[in-house]
Amino acid sequence: MLSTLYLTLGIYVLLLILALWRVWRGENAIDRLIGVDLVTVLTLGILVILALIYRDSIFIDVALGLAALGFITTIALAKHIADEQMF
Amino acid sequence: MDAILQIIAIFAVISGAAFSILGLLGVIRMPDVYTRLHATGKVGVFGVVFLLIAAIVWLPAGRGKALMLILFLLLAGPVTAHALASAAYRTGIPFARPIRDDLEHLASAPLNDADTPSA
Repeated sequence: MLSTLYLTLGIYVLLLILALWRVWRGENAIDRLIGVDLVTVLTLGILVILALIYRDSIFIDVALGLAALGFITTIALAKHIADEQMF
Repeated sequence: MDAILQIIAIFAVISGAAFSILGLLGVIRMPDVYTRLHATGKVGVFGVVFLLIAAIVWLPAGRGKALMLILFLLLAGPVTAHALASAAYRTGIPFARPIRDDLEHLASAPLNDADTPSA
């Protein structure tokens, strides 16, 4: 059980690096924003895997906070890119 | 009993990782922004939700929190994808292989330079 969790953690960190590469090399603003959204979601996944590894449910609280913040950030940035006003 | 939960958790974690890999492969391989949004949706919804199912099975203490997070992710996924797609369309990002554009008559004139949107 623990070995699969560590393997999955390695896979998610690798995917995180790929997502960061997408943020770096995105052609336009929305591509970069997709990369940022992807980084948030993959960090969420990593947090949940850490919760499974340490069998401690405090990580899921952190993941809940991060999910809410990531969601708001993506929506606000998408709206800002679309028509220059935030709200 | 613990062994059965362990097996379920392992299957959930592996399928979550598989969906994330496929989703990210999609993000890299897809030709333009709109198809790339399909892939990010998969990573976000299927990747993390399966991990949370494993968390529900494996962490009895955090069961309610994991359920809350699953509900939030299932709600937030499509909304972010829609916001990104409309922002991309409104800043005039072209389609890779345009077949038909139903929003042609509705949207304001899309700009040619995607990085400097008008007011």
